Parts: sequence; C-alpha cells; structure tokens
Amino acid sequence: MTTRSVGAPVARSEDPRLLRGEGRYLDDLGHDAFQIAMVRSPHAHARVLDIDVSGALEVEGLIAIHTFEDLPPRLQEPLPLLLPHPSLTAGRTQHLLADGEVNHVGEAVVMVTATDRYAAEDAAERILVEYDPLPAVVGPERARAAEHAVHDDVPDNVAAHLEQSIGDAPAAIGAAPNRLRFRLDIERSASTPMEGRGTYARWDGDDERVRLHTSTQAPTSVRAAVAAFLGLQLAQVECIAPDIGGGFGVKIMHPWPEEILVPWAARELGHDVKFTEDRREHFVSANHERAQVHWIDVGFDDDGRVLGLDVEFIHDHGAYIPYGLIVPIITSTQLIGPYKLENYRVVFDSVYTNTTPVSPYRGAGRPQGCFAMERTIDRIAAHLGKDRTEVRSVNFLQPEEMPYDFGLTFQDGRPLRYDSGDFPASLEKLKQLVDWDGFEERRAAAEAEGRLLGIGLATYVEGTGVGPYEGGHVLIEPGGTVQVSTGLSTQGQGHQTVFAQIVADELGVDLADVRVVTGDTRRFPYAVGTFASRAAVMSGNAIHLAARRVREKALRIASEALEVDAEDLELADGQARVVGSPDTAIDLKVVATLSNPLRYAFDESARIATQFANPGKEGQPPVTDDDEPGLEATDYYSPMSSTFANGMHAVEVSVDPDTSDIEVVRYAVVHDCGPLLNPRIVQGQVLGGVAQGVGGALYERMAYDEHGQLQNASFMDFLMPYATEVPSVDIDHLETPSPLNPLGIKGAGEAGVIPGAAAIAAAIEDATGVVIDAMPISPSQLHEQRLTTAQDRPGDTT
Amino acid sequence: MPISRPTDVTATLDALAASPDADLLAGGTDLVVEVNLDRRRPEHVIALRRVTELAGHDTTDGRLRLGANVTYSEVEHDLAQLVPGLAMAARTVGSPQIRNAGTLGGNLGTASPAGDTLPWLLAMDAEVELASPEGDRSVPLANFLTGPKSTARRPAELITGVRLPRVEGPQHVSKIGPRNAMVISVACFAIVLDTTNRRVRTGMGAVGPTVLRSPDAERAVTQALDWDALTCPEDAIDAFGRACAEATAPITDHRSSAEYRRHAVGVLARRALRRCLST
Repeated sequence: MTTRSVGAPVARSEDPRLLRGEGRYLDDLGHDAFQIAMVRSPHAHARVLDIDVSGALEVEGLIAIHTFEDLPPRLQEPLPLLLPHPSLTAGRTQHLLADGEVNHVGEAVVMVTATDRYAAEDAAERILVEYDPLPAVVGPERARAAEHAVHDDVPDNVAAHLEQSIGDAPAAIGAAPNRLRFRLDIERSASTPMEGRGTYARWDGDDERVRLHTSTQAPTSVRAAVAAFLGLQLAQVECIAPDIGGGFGVKIMHPWPEEILVPWAARELGHDVKFTEDRREHFVSANHERAQVHWIDVGFDDDGRVLGLDVEFIHDHGAYIPYGLIVPIITSTQLIGPYKLENYRVVFDSVYTNTTPVSPYRGAGRPQGCFAMERTIDRIAAHLGKDRTEVRSVNFLQPEEMPYDFGLTFQDGRPLRYDSGDFPASLEKLKQLVDWDGFEERRAAAEAEGRLLGIGLATYVEGTGVGPYEGGHVLIEPGGTVQVSTGLSTQGQGHQTVFAQIVADELGVDLADVRVVTGDTRRFPYAVGTFASRAAVMSGNAIHLAARRVREKALRIASEALEVDAEDLELADGQARVVGSPDTAIDLKVVATLSNPLRYAFDESARIATQFANPGKEGQPPVTDDDEPGLEATDYYSPMSSTFANGMHAVEVSVDPDTSDIEVVRYAVVHDCGPLLNPRIVQGQVLGGVAQGVGGALYERMAYDEHGQLQNASFMDFLMPYATEVPSVDIDHLETPSPLNPLGIKGAGEAGVIPGAAAIAAAIEDATGVVIDAMPISPSQLHEQRLTTAQDRPGDTT
Repeated sequence: MPISRPTDVTATLDALAASPDADLLAGGTDLVVEVNLDRRRPEHVIALRRVTELAGHDTTDGRLRLGANVTYSEVEHDLAQLVPGLAMAARTVGSPQIRNAGTLGGNLGTASPAGDTLPWLLAMDAEVELASPEGDRSVPLANFLTGPKSTARRPAELITGVRLPRVEGPQHVSKIGPRNAMVISVACFAIVLDTTNRRVRTGMGAVGPTVLRSPDAERAVTQALDWDALTCPEDAIDAFGRACAEATAPITDHRSSAEYRRHAVGVLARRALRRCLST
C-alpha cells in the first residue's frame, strides 16, 4: 500500500545531489562563454565626465567594451518600475550602464567582455573614468532633510508618501488615559546568499533564439523583460533558473542590468556570454533592505489595551526604486501583528539615498514592523508594570473573530484580511515551551553566577501566499514516470520534495517516480515568482489541482478499460484498482498509454493503444470532443487574498556584566503555517530563519560612512552567525488551517526571521534594564548604552 | 606578474634584492585578502613556503626560536606545551583552513595592531630575526613594530624567525571580537606570570597603533603579587585592569568604539590575571 507522504518528514530528494557537489549553479555553465567584468562606480554620487578606454584596448583576449553611449536606444532606457503605485510619484530607476551620473558605489558604468574573466578584469582595470564627485546623501534622516538631492529632479528626495488608517488614531490617543511617544531604528542589512548574481546567455543565430540561464527567483518575468528590451517575441526567449545558491529575496529583483546586457551582448557578438558576480560586487551592486526609522505615538488604557496607534516612518530605498513600495507597505500593514487595532494611522516617506538600492530581503519590511509593534507593547507593559504576555493577551484578535478584515490594503493591492490563527493558544504554547513563568528562578540562578539573564518575546502575523496566481502541470508518461512542473524557481526550499509529495499522494504513486522541474520557461511559461513565502501555497495548490485532474482522467480511462464504475476505483501503488478487490487493476503506465490513441506501435507497450488493438468507443472519434490525448493536466491556483501565517518567539539572552557580550542561550518558537506538508522542511525553514534573525539582531549590518562608502563589504567584517552563535531552538507547531486553499496551508519561508530583532531586543532590555530602541546591537553599543543609562539613573551601577 | 619560488634564504634575498618592492607571500591570509579587496596589485611575488630554513623550531641556551614559516596550526597542535600562551592566541585565529595557512612570519610582517600572536610575543620580549645581504640582525618586537602595518624591516630584509626566552609560570591569552569565531580582534590581552624572573609580562592588541604593554601596570602588579602563593589582592587586580586600560590608545571604527576597546581590554586584563592566579 502506498503510504501517504504529505505530512510526513520525508527526506529532501534534492540533497544527495547538492551535497555531492553535483549541483549545476550558474558559474558551472558556459565554460567557453565570453565573460563580463563591469567597471563600477567607486563614488556614491558623481557625474561621469569622461571615459577613456584606450589603455584597455591592448589587453589580450579583449572582445568588446560598452559604455552607455554604445547601447542601442531601447537599452538606453532605464529599468522598468516593476511595481507602480499611485503614491509613487517620483519613481526613478537605474540605467543598464550609467548615463552621465552615478548614484551609489557599485553602479555599473562600463561593460567589458573578454575571452575570460581574467582578461575582462585586466581590461576593466585599465579603463579610466573621470568623475566629478557630488555630495552623498546617506541615511534616511539626511535624505529627508534634503540638504542635497540624490536626483536633481527630486529635490526633497521623497519618492513616495503614503498614509493608511483605520478609525481615528490621533483622537483615540488624545483621549487615552496613558500615552507614550518614542523612536525606533532598524539598520540596513542584506540577503547575502552564498551564490551571488549571475547570468549566462546563448544566442542561436540559426534559430534566432536566446537561451538565458540566470540565478533568479522570477524566470518568467526575466524572460518577458529580455524580450521587451531586445525586441524579441516571447517565443524567441527561453529562461531557466538553474540550481541557485540561495536567494533570500535579493534575486526577486529583475531584470538586473546584467540580465539584459548579457543576452544583448551574446546576440551582438554571436557568442555565448556570461556574467558571474563576485562577492565584493555583490555587497555593493546587489540590493539591500531593512533601514527604517520609526516614530511611535501610542495611547492605551490601564489594562494595556491599545486605544490608538500612530506610526510615522522613513524608509530608505537607496539610489533607485525599481521594486516600488512593497517593503514599506508591508511594514505599514504587517506591523499590526496579532492585535486588534481599531484606531491606527501609519504614514511613511520612501526616500532616496546614495546607497545600493533596496528590494525585499527575507522578512521584507516585517522585521521592522514587528520590532515597532512589539517594542511598543513592551513599553506599555513596562509603563504599567504588567507582565508582557498579559498586555499581549488583552490586545489579541480572538480566533472566533476570524476572518478579520482590517480595512487596509495589503502589498498585493487586496484587503488586509486575516484568514486564520489562534493567538491565545499560540501564546499559551509558547509560555509552556520556554517556561515563561519559571524564568525569575533562572534569572536568580544566573545572577548568583554573575550573569545577567533576560527573557523577551515577540509575535508576528505574516501575509503569505500572495497572488495573483501560479500554475502546475502534471503528466504521467507511458513509462510510468510522473513529470511535474511549475513556473516559479527554487533556491533551496525543497520544492522538488514537497511538490512530489503532493502529487504522489493524489496519484497513488511512489515518490521516487515523480520528477519535479521548477523555473524553466520551456516547461511552464506562466508564473509570478518565488517570494513572499508563496511557493508552497501557490504552486503547491496549483500542482495539487492539476494532479487531481490527472487523477480524474486516469480513473475514467481505467474504468473504461476495466469495465467497472470509476467510483469503485482507487489509485494506489502505481495502479488503478478496484477497492477491496486489488487483483482487478491496471497499471497507471498502461492507463497513460491508453490515453493517447496511436497509429504506430513503436514499442511493445505502445501496441495496446494502436488503432486495431484499441478501436475506441463505437460511434466516437478516437479523441472525443471534450478530451485530449495524454494523461496530463494543467491547472492554476489564484486566491482571493493572501493567507496569513503567524508565530511567536521567546528568547533568553545572557549578558556579560563586564564586557556586555550577548549570548542567546534559549530560543523557543511556536509557529502556525497550517497543516505541515513536510515537518522536516518546515523545521529547516524556521531554523534557518532564526539563524538569520540572530544575525540581523546582533551581527549583520551595512556599515556606510558619511561618504556612502560601505566599510564592511566582505565576509571578514559583514558578520553572519555561525553555529557558535545560533542557539538550539525548541519548535512547536499550531496547525490552524487556512480556509482559502485546498491544502489549507500557509507560507513558512520567511517566518523564522521576522521576530528575531524584536525578541532579542526585549531579552537584552530585560537582562540589563537598558531600553533597546535600535537594532542590531553590538556589545560595544550595549556597553555605551549601559553607561549612559547608569549616568541617567544615579544610584544604579553597571 | 612574476612569481619567485626560492628554496633557501640566500636565493630569497637575491630575489628580494632584484625586486625590493616584491610582495612576500607566506600563508597568504593577509596578502590574498588585500588582493581580493583590490587594495593591492602585486607586481612581483616572492613565495616563501619552500624556504626550508624558515620552517620548524629549536631551543638553544634556554632560548626558543620559532621559524617564520611556522603556522598557527603547528603552534596550536605541536607547540602547545612549549608556548601555551601562543597556542591560545593561535586558536583564536580564523578557521582551521586559515590556521593551516597563516604563519608567524606573516603575522609579524603584516604588523596589524590586531595581529593575534603579537600581544603574547610582545609580553615575552620576543626578538624578530631578520636576514639581509648585509648580514643578520635581530630587533626587539617593541622596536620592530613602528605603527599600524608598518615595521622596521628594511626593503632587502627577510623575517626568518622569532626568538624568545623560555620562562616558567602560568599564562593566558584572550580576545574579544564582534563574533565568537573568525573575526578580527576588538581587543586582545596576553599575560605571563613569569615565575622564573618573578615579573608579570603583558601585551595588548587592537587597542593602539601597534600592540602595546603597560610598564606601570606590570610593575605595580609584579609588586602586589605573592609570588610563592600566586595570589593577588582584589584591589591590585582592579588597579591592574585600570592601568592597562589607561595605557591604551584605541580608535573608533565599524568594529567597535574606542571607549569599548579601552574598557574591554581592562576587563580582559583582570580576567586573564585571575585565571593565572591560584584560587
């Protein structure tokens, strides 16, 4: 009997190949391709006065040098503004190569193509670019002060100003018995996947087609952009995402300038061309995220119930805004978390700075929103002298209020409407898991050993599985193999495993017989992309629906072949068979063969489907009007609105009283993404997210100086957490199903990272008594804050 | 770009004489990073790994000589009994791969104020051995390090090794960095309770333009120690930490503030001293 695999901790089928080094990443392809090196701006803001390439011309192996002036008119147009929004009134996007002005360190100025990367870099080094440096705008507040402008035609540096509100927050705050006002900061960070960006293009001059391999989270959209820029029909462009060494959001940005320039150069030069980003380039030319400053004004009653919340923030989107307002809109709406806010106003300015542009990084505005909301709840608890879990409880939306419509617009342009969740139950589970009530004993024990122990928690709700749609194709081959494809690409999430589980269960076949292909426009040309924790929800459900159609067709054909009612049949062990009488059965591969009427018996098994062996139904053509040959189906899933996952984290930190060294000693997660398709994979997602959350709280930051130079553009100084920094994590799940999709699932991809900074800040505050209002925080910063706090409160010692 | 691969000191010195601006390559853990970051474009590299005289260690007349090509891994694994403080310092360097490559000679030649072996070597009054066509000389480490990443090495000279006295007594090296492993030091402290000569020896890293010591702090704690019992009064331990911190001249950068560096090295000094005392 085939055992049901959805819900089981099935081992990831992709791992053996990847762990043995058999993965095919971008740089593993195109060994004979010409290679590109970019001359990039060393200045944060400058005019380009002159480009002198003469010194590079003698470099052996040089093929071509291109500046902005050398590009055809269509390629001189700026990148598309991918996500237009009515509030985005001053949207500016970059050119493929700088058009007379550079606006961040790392902006591409000249493209050098050579027979190999060495020659390309040697030539690039010999190109002299004369710059006239301009004042650099760095940091959200300096941007809004607008002493200097990033773009001359946007003198206030503000690309967008957006306000959303529920009820009347200012009035509610004014009337509230308690009121607090404070500021909260989150610094810039970045996805920093192991593999940077990369694009490889092959132009077939005979067929007039381009085949593009690119390390992307959105291959169908890259394909469309390439066709548009190169003036090609879609049918002339194939785009494939090969194995991808991590994305974490940064590879949803598209098209990168190189994704257009590489296929264009391949066509111009009649030769394969490849661009592989190096680590240093990645730090300055691939997008960042997170930097925001928030001002909170909150009114609340004596139980801690929030009566009105007014939030203003500045979002630093860097030098250009190709990805629109997605990140600040997510902060605006997801800040609310699990709380029933009836009077809420949020206003943001999205501002230009002379730094690397911003697009979503795992969490995408939610870590900032969670930090703002959860720090607010902690302030309220501190002000009232109440337990922090108690103040959360009085504010929770209750399960019986679901679905709950806040009356705001989410990042997909659809209503912010929570579909499911049981926040009181989640909090109860978390308190048990971390032994919240037993903490004071642990604190006292640590104190006796000279350690400062603190506990903190943070909750979040995450809109996942955003539309508009994804599709899936399922085909049972006559050989018995089940081919599955979906258009979005995969970056290590285990899609091959999970999608195979869904199909194997629906068709009653062995997991090993299911092959899944993602991110290949030759196999599935319609897709949106992998972002917003949406792949399992969107493609998973689409594939589920497609597999169900294949199942129905298989049962119909089998019932005709076996001459039994389809109702009496089941699919199991690779067969269609009579329930309770498994000897009356037909192999699915035979069903697949029968589904396709044949003229030619090219092999032994095909014989059964040929015209004399299988004459079909009397009075009917071989393929009836409502039928198609083949045992396959395509289907799509398109939800009315996003599905909302949620979770709560609790953290204990130990702070060294002398050095202010911070150690995360205990980490507990309660996570609700609905039914788990594969608990092992969900656990991996949560653990990876927690590690990234620890990184974002204590280590990772983009250290720009006032001139817009990134001071820590290498892994020597941009510190990611190692095993030595990541605690062991206790994870518990609550599985409240979503009513929005057939599988009842909610996304899990970003969950782990969201509350990290908020929960760790709360724990540090609890350990030290220092109010933590900016993250990330280093021991050096905590030390200084403890000194300041001690000075402000004479009598205390640190 | 030419690469010379001499196998003895004489040939190395010849190569160096022929191109005095050549970059010397030992483990590459500094030079290759600089090249990768585009901070340096070598015109000529002299690779030292094959120079046999630079390998190994020996002891003569109670003094120890460590060859310039001795790696952090060798110190960590093979020399832990002989130079326990240096082994502690070596263990804080990078990852195992970095420790397999990086050498003492490289750490001395780069002369970073955050060089991980330098505080302990300074505490030990180590002398740097230099060879040149004019003859060999040795320079006390304190004089050899002339500033951040600058040394008294002359263009034609090669660091062949380091000499230090053999002393008895407990020792400790500790480091604070912005992460638990594989980081550049924010503050580093080395201490040796030299029971042979009854003096406290110290060295501090990453808190000044070069590694530093505080003669005042050393003198005071040397006097305060009960050398037979290896104990020290609490107020003297505190004063030692303060005196060490006061002797520093740190900078503020993206890794840490100057104030924190000064504070942290004082904490390290107190803790390191306590570890060396009998309890």
